[in-house]
Amino acid sequence: MAAAMVSSAGGLLAMLNEPQPSLKHHALSHLNNLVDRFWPEISTSVPIIESLYEDEEFDLHQRQLAALLVSKVFYYLGELNDSLSYALGAGPSFDVSEDTDYVHTLLAKAIDEYTCLRNKAIELKEMVDIDARLEAIVERMLEKCITDGKYQQAMGIAIECQRLDKLEDAITASDNVQGTLSYCINVSHSFVNHREYRHEVLTLLVKVYQELPSPDYLSICQCLMFLDEPKGVASILEKLLRSESKDDALLALQIAFDLVENEHQAFLLSVRDRLPAPKTRPVEVVQAATTAPTENPSGDVQMTDGTPAPTIVHETDPVDATYAERLTKIKGILSGETSIQLTLQFLYSHNKSDLLILKTIKQSVEMRNSVCHSATIYANAIMHAGTTVDTFLRENLDWLSRATNWAKFSATAGLGVIHRGHLQQGRSLMAPYLPQGGAGGGGSPYSEGGALYALGLIHANHGEGIKEFLRDSLRSTNVEVIQHGACLGLGLSAIGTADEEIYDDVKSVLYTDSAVAGEAAGISMGLLLVGTATEKASEMLAYAHETQHEKIIRGLALGIALTVYGREEGADTLIEQMTRDQDPIIRYGGMYALALAYSGTANNKAIRQLLHFAVSDVSDDVRRTAVLALGFVLYSDPEQTPRIVSLLSESYNPHVRYGAALAVGISCAGTGLSEAISLLEPLTSDVVDFVRQGALIAMAMVMVQISEASDSRVGTFRRQLEKIILDKHEDTMSKMGAILASGILDAGGRNVTIRLLSKTKHDKVTAVIGLAVFSQFWYWYPLIYFISLAFSPTAFIGLNYDLKVPKFEFMSHAKPSLFEYPKPTTVATSNTAAKLPTAVLSTSVKAKARAKKEAEQKANAEKTSGAEKSVSESGSGKEKGSTEKEGDAMQVDGTATVEKKAAEPEPAFEILVNPARVVPAQEKYIKLLEGSRYVPVKLAPSGFVLLKDLREHEPEVLSLTDAPTSTASPATGAAAATQGTTAMAVDDEPQPPQAFEYAT
Amino acid sequence: MDPQLTEVSQQLERFKAAFVRKDYSTCSDLLSRLKVLLTKFTSLPPLFENTPNAAQELTLARDIYEHAVVLSVKTEDQDAFERDFFQLKPYYVDARNRLPPSPQENLILGLNLLRLLVQNRIAEFHTELELLSSATLDNPCIKHAVELEQSFMEGAYNRVLSARQTAPDATYVYFMDLLAKTIRDEIAGCSEKAYDYVSISDAKQMLLFSSDQELLTYVNEEHPEWEVKEGFVVFQKAKETAPCKEIPSLQLINQTLSYARELERIV
Repeated sequence: MAAAMVSSAGGLLAMLNEPQPSLKHHALSHLNNLVDRFWPEISTSVPIIESLYEDEEFDLHQRQLAALLVSKVFYYLGELNDSLSYALGAGPSFDVSEDTDYVHTLLAKAIDEYTCLRNKAIELKEMVDIDARLEAIVERMLEKCITDGKYQQAMGIAIECQRLDKLEDAITASDNVQGTLSYCINVSHSFVNHREYRHEVLTLLVKVYQELPSPDYLSICQCLMFLDEPKGVASILEKLLRSESKDDALLALQIAFDLVENEHQAFLLSVRDRLPAPKTRPVEVVQAATTAPTENPSGDVQMTDGTPAPTIVHETDPVDATYAERLTKIKGILSGETSIQLTLQFLYSHNKSDLLILKTIKQSVEMRNSVCHSATIYANAIMHAGTTVDTFLRENLDWLSRATNWAKFSATAGLGVIHRGHLQQGRSLMAPYLPQGGAGGGGSPYSEGGALYALGLIHANHGEGIKEFLRDSLRSTNVEVIQHGACLGLGLSAIGTADEEIYDDVKSVLYTDSAVAGEAAGISMGLLLVGTATEKASEMLAYAHETQHEKIIRGLALGIALTVYGREEGADTLIEQMTRDQDPIIRYGGMYALALAYSGTANNKAIRQLLHFAVSDVSDDVRRTAVLALGFVLYSDPEQTPRIVSLLSESYNPHVRYGAALAVGISCAGTGLSEAISLLEPLTSDVVDFVRQGALIAMAMVMVQISEASDSRVGTFRRQLEKIILDKHEDTMSKMGAILASGILDAGGRNVTIRLLSKTKHDKVTAVIGLAVFSQFWYWYPLIYFISLAFSPTAFIGLNYDLKVPKFEFMSHAKPSLFEYPKPTTVATSNTAAKLPTAVLSTSVKAKARAKKEAEQKANAEKTSGAEKSVSESGSGKEKGSTEKEGDAMQVDGTATVEKKAAEPEPAFEILVNPARVVPAQEKYIKLLEGSRYVPVKLAPSGFVLLKDLREHEPEVLSLTDAPTSTASPATGAAAATQGTTAMAVDDEPQPPQAFEYAT
Repeated sequence: MDPQLTEVSQQLERFKAAFVRKDYSTCSDLLSRLKVLLTKFTSLPPLFENTPNAAQELTLARDIYEHAVVLSVKTEDQDAFERDFFQLKPYYVDARNRLPPSPQENLILGLNLLRLLVQNRIAEFHTELELLSSATLDNPCIKHAVELEQSFMEGAYNRVLSARQTAPDATYVYFMDLLAKTIRDEIAGCSEKAYDYVSISDAKQMLLFSSDQELLTYVNEEHPEWEVKEGFVVFQKAKETAPCKEIPSLQLINQTLSYARELERIV
């Protein structure tokens, strides 16, 4: 007999009308199985089934069955809300584990609903009545996930529903707690929009972390930093430092470096200050011992001085001595000095900037065109940011002297960018230009102001040492240009410290109501108060309403925006107030406030608001800024930006197009994202000059450090820039854009990228506000220099326990040409290119191959280490050819044969030597060589990495020498210009530039 | 033999006996007990499991439902008829290849058609008709119903009424009576539309009443809005014909234009 099927549910439906309950039940249970096929028929009888569900006399189980049936029919009819409410009525009959579309859909719906209710309850701070049945379903679901081992899903739901208890359950139940925790941190950063809630989640995570048998201190400290709890970090660091194991100390140092990378100055300082002093300092033996035990929170390895006779103390306890030594190191790191110094050395030694490009620009730019002239100076500063190489300036003093007034201001300030991070010598470098004490010296106020600004740039975010000097300079002058420079300098050096005294000084400058000084004061106040969301913002807003000067209003508006950095919902009232203002400049500030408060959150509400302003505001400035601000909101998710602004980039309004270009530039900076380039390409040949300018700059930002081999459009773009610069008929605006773009494209000696997120996905405060202020260059060119704050070196710098850079090799498992430096430009007639350094990476491979052959022949491990180093390094008289090479010899045996085979076309990998340039795209190819002497404490492909020495007793070979030569040669006129280059090549350390004077 | 099956067939015998005795209340009791018993058989629709007794069980169940349908006609319960018929239907449609055809099948189908006609559910009537094979259409029971429907549609009401005498089965009489009433309603509806008033004698003739008294009761019960005065039946016509609503064209045009303007202003 063939299997027969019913062709209609009519019979069963008719049975529902039978008077006997048992028949009804029979019909219901069969209908329930047939509903998938016969729902259209059943849907006409839904009222009957509903009445069965509501029939109080009916058996409970049958009523639930009826509810389930109705729920299914509604599901098929697409009425999910009704379906869900009946499914809830179905109680246990609704089986969460059933693998059907119906169950999946309804579960999703239930979770959505529950999340929505929970969020509403928390938002309104009151108990919203949540259906207990709904909660039961979600909890059943969570338990099922956990028992099935789907921890990630469980955590996702728990976070979404704000059920921290369940989240904890899920994490502790999982088999790989470390993995789940890091997943959870990721999720909370990318998907939790509410700041407060994210804090709660992270607090929980820290708690779970600490309960683990072997806590992952790196992650804990990252969380604690986000939670702004310096105390926790300090106690962890202390514990690690006091540990006997060297590895723990290394870990502590690594944590410190990771924290520094996030550039949260105020936090770092407070961690540093909380680290307790060593118990018995060699100097003050007696007193320290009596006081110390109380401030020693952790029950560590040290014996406690509980004995009532503290006067006789163990003299310089060895444990304490190591602690003291480690403490100095870690304090150095936390203050940022160590990393800045190392970065500086790296950037100097690896500088690959192409002077020929600048020379071409200089020659093609018309002398009298001051805009292009100063653009060239800006480009030079950006190109050499942080490298301390000022050869170009010194070779062209005559040309430089054409800069007058504000151009002179920026030319001087440019030195600050070039010497960025040169903390020890910054002051002496700038000395010739600084205002002299007493009767105002004799220098031009423009160069004096510029010098103060330059000091700020040098000490940006690490202004401990220079604050006082800048304050004094500010107070002792009433020239507005100098005030301008001093205000900016103070703001930069004290970013985010909210220092009351500095604030008052700057405020008094603001109240002089001078347009030029006031603008800088406004920005400076913002920089001081970054992310503090103080009520001082309303004070600033009030003054912005009072003053007549547009410049001051603009400065204040930006300043106010800076104060709400990263506050998300906390800034909503202020944003509301600003965006509803009558004055377009304040609304413009409101856009920045939105951008900064929600920076990197990709918050939908913020995006919606910005898009709304971008198309509806009456002021072009506001619209431009609104679009631009999208770039800040979306930088954590760069793939999205081109899609969101693509329509705006075709707007009829050039301001909107300009904003779209910069938005893409900001959010996709350094990514080389293909969509971003495609969007910008047409804009670089826009009909309106300033749109071209913006597009060129944005394109350069996107393409930083992208080699021609990975995207051919980079080469095209470089040629396009050259063409624009050489074209006599090009508009000044776009010419300026092209010049700046060439600077950004080769920024920092081609060794930096623009990065707004640290490797742990935290926002880099300084970088973000740097770009925000940079985007103001539309109104005020000197602010271009703020872009240098966003530069971060792309380097792998391995450090040993002494924070020295040992020689250490690792592998980049990709074709060298993908990530190499761009080829230096050549001029056919002259051989100027010869003096340019050859690219390190390609030569190092060849040199290495050569060296290896030698090594094989001699069967001796001795070889010159200098051969693999960059030109500048090899000049240094360091331990060249040291005899300690056993470790290397082993590697040679292992890799030499491989190398030979691959040598012919292009090797599939290259060997990099610490410290090395590792561009972001290259990071995933970085591999460590096996059998290496050093092992990194944490697996990271770039940044500062502490290395564990496996062969401690052998002498180490260092790559970068440490102590900088601090002989600041006195300023002696322009005569020393030619001596510069040779001196630089020979000297290991960047020399302070020779002072030059302007022929005014 | 399966004890359950035995029990069911025994019950069925008792039911049949009661049915012959025309003891309908006993019948209903037995029937509902039978139906509950039937739910235990898994070979019945909708499961159609291949149990050893499947054929017997199916036949038995069909028999029960057929009797149930006939019983509902006897007790003049249209709802029960519908219910039982729908439960019976799978045995005709889905179990066709498992069972020998039932002798009662055409009779019951015809009854159902008639019921639909009586309830004036013409659409469903035709749906049912489409499902039947051409051979079945020639069956007198079915043919009777089809012809009735045709006459009904044509308006040949007298032919419908005379068909009462040619009913193929005694059970049809109940529906034929009901049909007469349906027809009367139809006629009344038509007259209402066609005339302002008619004389009582004409009305009596049209509505197929044998006496004035019957007519008056009918009017009172079914159409209280009709007036009977001076030997005439006056129909209260629904006079008002809804005038065409004016389209607010100007307003619409203005609105559309303003939308267009607003759209242009955006972006």
